[in-house]
Amino acid sequence: MSVIDPVTLQLRWSRLVNIADQMAATLVKTAFSLVVRDNHDYACGLYDSHGRMLVQSNQCTPGQIGSTPTVVREMLAEYPPETLEPGDILIANDPWIGAGHAPDVFLAQPIFQGGKLVGFGCNCAHHIDFGGRLAAVDARDVYEEGLIIPVSKLYRAGKPNDELIRLIRRNVRENEKVVGDLRAQIASLHVAAEGVVEMLRQFGLDGLDDLTDAICDRSEAALRAAIAQLPDGEAEHSVRHEARGPDGENLMLRLKLKIAGDEAILDFTGTAGQIERPINAVLNITRAYVVFPFLAALTPQTPMNDGCFRPLSLDVPEGSVLNSTFPAAGMYRSLLSYYTVELVFGALAKIAPERVMAPSGTYPLWIEKFAGQFDGGESFVSHYNAQGGQGAFHDRDGNSAVVFPGNVANSSIELFEADTPLVVEKKRFRIDSGGPGRFRGGCGQETMIRSRADAPVTTALSGGRFDTGPLGLGGGRQGAKGEIRTADAAGAEREPFPRPTRTSITRGERAVLRQPGGGGFGDPFARDPAAVLADVRDGLVSVEGAARDYGVAIAPGPEVDQAATAALRAC
Amino acid sequence: MLRIGCDIGGTFTDFLLYDAATGAFETLKVPTTPDDPSRAVAEGLARLGAGDPTLVGRIDTLIHGTTLVINAVIERKGAPTALLATAGFPDILQMRREIRYDIYDIRQTFPEPLVPRRWRREAPERVLADGTAETPLDEAAVAATVRALADEGVTSLGVCFLHSYANPAHEARAREVIRAAVPEMDVTISSEVLPEIREFERTATTAVNAYVRPVVKAYLAELEDRLAAMGVKAAITLMLSGGGICGLAAGRQAPVRLVESGPVGGVIAAAELGAQAGAGEVLGFDMGGTTAKLCLIAGGRLPMTREYEVDRVHRFKRGSGTPVAVPTVDLVEIGAGGGSIASVGAMGLISVGPHSAGAVPGPICYGGGGTEPTVTDADLVLGWLDPEAMKPNGVPLDREGAAAGLVREIGAPLGLDAVEAAAAVVAVVEEAMAGAARMHGVERGSDAGAATMVAYGGAGPLHADGVARRIGARHILVPLAAGVFSALGFLVSPVRYEAAKSRLTRLDRADGPESAAVDAVFAELTAEAEAAVKSAAGDTPITVELLADMAYHGQGHTLRVPLREGPFDPADAARRFAKGYADAYGYAYDDMVAQIVTLRVVATAETPAAPVAEPPAPDGGARRERMAYDPADKAFVPHSVVSIPSLAAGERVDGPALIEADGTTIRIGRGAFATMSDAGYVRITIEEMLL
Repeated sequence: MSVIDPVTLQLRWSRLVNIADQMAATLVKTAFSLVVRDNHDYACGLYDSHGRMLVQSNQCTPGQIGSTPTVVREMLAEYPPETLEPGDILIANDPWIGAGHAPDVFLAQPIFQGGKLVGFGCNCAHHIDFGGRLAAVDARDVYEEGLIIPVSKLYRAGKPNDELIRLIRRNVRENEKVVGDLRAQIASLHVAAEGVVEMLRQFGLDGLDDLTDAICDRSEAALRAAIAQLPDGEAEHSVRHEARGPDGENLMLRLKLKIAGDEAILDFTGTAGQIERPINAVLNITRAYVVFPFLAALTPQTPMNDGCFRPLSLDVPEGSVLNSTFPAAGMYRSLLSYYTVELVFGALAKIAPERVMAPSGTYPLWIEKFAGQFDGGESFVSHYNAQGGQGAFHDRDGNSAVVFPGNVANSSIELFEADTPLVVEKKRFRIDSGGPGRFRGGCGQETMIRSRADAPVTTALSGGRFDTGPLGLGGGRQGAKGEIRTADAAGAEREPFPRPTRTSITRGERAVLRQPGGGGFGDPFARDPAAVLADVRDGLVSVEGAARDYGVAIAPGPEVDQAATAALRAC
Repeated sequence: MLRIGCDIGGTFTDFLLYDAATGAFETLKVPTTPDDPSRAVAEGLARLGAGDPTLVGRIDTLIHGTTLVINAVIERKGAPTALLATAGFPDILQMRREIRYDIYDIRQTFPEPLVPRRWRREAPERVLADGTAETPLDEAAVAATVRALADEGVTSLGVCFLHSYANPAHEARAREVIRAAVPEMDVTISSEVLPEIREFERTATTAVNAYVRPVVKAYLAELEDRLAAMGVKAAITLMLSGGGICGLAAGRQAPVRLVESGPVGGVIAAAELGAQAGAGEVLGFDMGGTTAKLCLIAGGRLPMTREYEVDRVHRFKRGSGTPVAVPTVDLVEIGAGGGSIASVGAMGLISVGPHSAGAVPGPICYGGGGTEPTVTDADLVLGWLDPEAMKPNGVPLDREGAAAGLVREIGAPLGLDAVEAAAAVVAVVEEAMAGAARMHGVERGSDAGAATMVAYGGAGPLHADGVARRIGARHILVPLAAGVFSALGFLVSPVRYEAAKSRLTRLDRADGPESAAVDAVFAELTAEAEAAVKSAAGDTPITVELLADMAYHGQGHTLRVPLREGPFDPADAARRFAKGYADAYGYAYDDMVAQIVTLRVVATAETPAAPVAEPPAPDGGARRERMAYDPADKAFVPHSVVSIPSLAAGERVDGPALIEADGTTIRIGRGAFATMSDAGYVRITIEEMLL
């Protein structure tokens, strides 16, 4: 292996990142489904000839990008270098190879220079549909969740594999958009191949493999240095998930975090076993959502590549909900897997609380699916995304209504209504929803969606935090709980659903969503009364809430009643 | 015929006076007067006319660009502003797209909303996606709300209701109600500012307009009064963010369209120079002290974006600002200029910018107190700048100081000497700019490497050669009028106005009635655009272009497609879209239905002739030689050094060479040569793509 000087490394590295960003821009520009183009639910990366990850696009979804190294390695295992040729495009969406559910479809293209395999471009897009039962929030196994494609060739030497494409077309809803998005992924891979070949030519290189070592070593060293700054020790944390196992008890996620020098050992022993509900996570997803919060808390400037995985050792029991085995259902695995962020932050908080945020109302992700017919008979399928509030930090309030840890944008109300016979009647911050603390959790929001269609509209209402709001940290209190209900045509709300639910609404009926607020940080009675007053003025905290949660008495004006506040805070 | 270009910047107000009869230019800089910017304008005019009392009265046109609007937003100096939204939706402005602009930065923040929540009020009303009014506007509620807001000190109100692009009736009626209730309230309605689908972008743009409008109106009134008092009879026009100029009435109506009016001048001048020089696609490359700006111009048409942002939390992070979705020239700006500071980061890698030493303290070599090494310091250490040629603080540039700074901050941590460190800094910053150019190309569906670069700004001509090689571009043009390039752009900009409105129309369903509806929208937009142009251009003939933002049904990003004149023809529109799509992405689909999202009309008055400076006779200055760094050789090699005034038209200079121009140096690398044109620019041709 040749040693690459830092300046040369940097120039090559930044060129590779630039190519990955061009892949992403091409994918977004040419994609059809809203999920890719507006929700940014995709990932792009470059890999060396052994399938090791070099770089990722700046904009991507952590779970997908964290899965790509496994995807490319599995592809290489299935198709060794001598079976690959220029113009091949490989495809896979097997949950246990990829990102844990069928809609995340991975495509990769081997890149050749002078007949020699030098690396791969790989991307993943969340497709609007990939077959299976519509909105199967009650699926019991993976067979109900869509078409599974093991590693296959979608193109051979530039020629489409027509049988496979016909098979996909016949198995998925909205197949024009699905095929359109596959084409967008291919266009993005072409940009990768052209960019890499041009880079090798311009820099006079004959491969990428030496570069991988240098890039990964540097990222690894940066993460190790950050871990070494933490005090050695062990911390245990557990999160109670609202889903219940066969014994009727809440699922427990458990982590024992050990910091030893420049390494971290994360042991998930004691975590609940996989269940017959579609929220099981595969190891790829768990690994991605463990590395992600670690990087984010310790070295946010370190880009993700294979080197970032080396200082961390993960022990996730096989057959648990965090390392499920075939044929566990996992379509809605974000409902569970995002909690690994809370698990990691919760354990880290016991070692270095200033690095983390309190639990967020932003996980699980809230994505509601609607399907049905316009009165003219034309069918529609659409998603509606809107998220809760983030947890507070030790020194500032949490952000309200923002996506985390995934990174998918909300739905434009106007575009959603143009695509469906539905009307959004309300979308606003929920008062008193941010968890009280010296620093307040971000606010959740509430949404009401009414049907105007004659035919019943099927809806998969998905969200969480129905039993307990996101907890506070350091004396902070919990944010508001999540709620999903329907309301009748007169607006009267029915009992909330205890869990994500597939139901239908008829003309005039509403789906009602209340996304949770984030947890607070620190003693709420230590919050600056002026900050509480500002929240009251802005309608984010009620006068009653100010007194009850913060010990701040608000007099008409509004203004802070200093004497009454002192009295409230004294008790 | 006298024309004046006047650009009010943060520090200086620049003037360019052009006499069409003689071709003579005169330039002037006066300090900007932030408390009342019109004072500097009047003062500059007075100084230009000092020797000729008739001059002020003889000015025909005054074209005016200003940073007033953007500064009002950034510095939060706008009016106390409220927003009125459809009941149920007070938080669109603050919820944004609910996306994070940096996936790993868990502590990221977003711009403080221009309108606080207590002034984001609701009006009972509802219009559906097809324009149907489902719930009538509650006029009494609106009147009560606006009275309450006025009592709280609000002076400007933005109204943005859902689907008002499809049916503006409720917004228009709300404005009448507001005016009746509180006549002095300034009202902006979203269906006039940005009648386009997507509520967040429309709300944000409406909020910015409402926030700045009282400030801009006061300023323009002051300006008119001052100029009238001086005897100026000229038509006063304003430079728009989208290129094109408009009259004061249009500027008062939608000041949000003036946000980016400064930098656009340079792009227009670059497009004009490219056209003069017979270039096809042009890549404008403007590298100044703090930033580099890039802009791909195909077919002489300025690229437009609706994703422009102001008020970014991180100036160069897309998504960290507030969108202003009015027509804006698509400029890519990155934090890479001559003053950008180089350092070694936690990963042991060099970073250049976005922090800049600025004008004060400036680069180390300026001797103004700067201690951190910058790109300009690296340029000097490489021998690319002549220490004697520039004396920013009255003394020659300090090469020793620059070298010491580079060794301390870059060389020592990485084991490099001063020259190696300087070469590394330059390579990193040039690769960063090349990367931005490549991304810009992909996003525009184009190849930056196939374009002809037009390099300007203080550092542009020095780094154009390196950037061009990294993107594979072979041709570079450097204007001799680089110092007044932006103001020059003002003078050659046509009076132009773009009006737009969303109208979702599937082409497979665009039969009779729907086509007629499209024609009706076009007629309405044409009237609006023509009126705006007439107010600034008088009786000059006007051309009208019809355009449509189109996408395949269900696809996201739209493509702007020129339509043919006359009644709307869906089949022709489909053909044009397919062709545009294939041009941009290499293929088009015959199995997909195209859809119109937004209709646009661009009205343009005839373009004034571009002034071309007569090349003066060569001054007989001799060529010299200087040792300077050649990146291809990684060594100092002899460079020819010539000055612009010594070059005759058609004269050739082979690289490696340095051509010294007024305020800048043009670098020609090995394997390239420059020729002096007879029309005011230097053309560089790269024959061998050595890096």
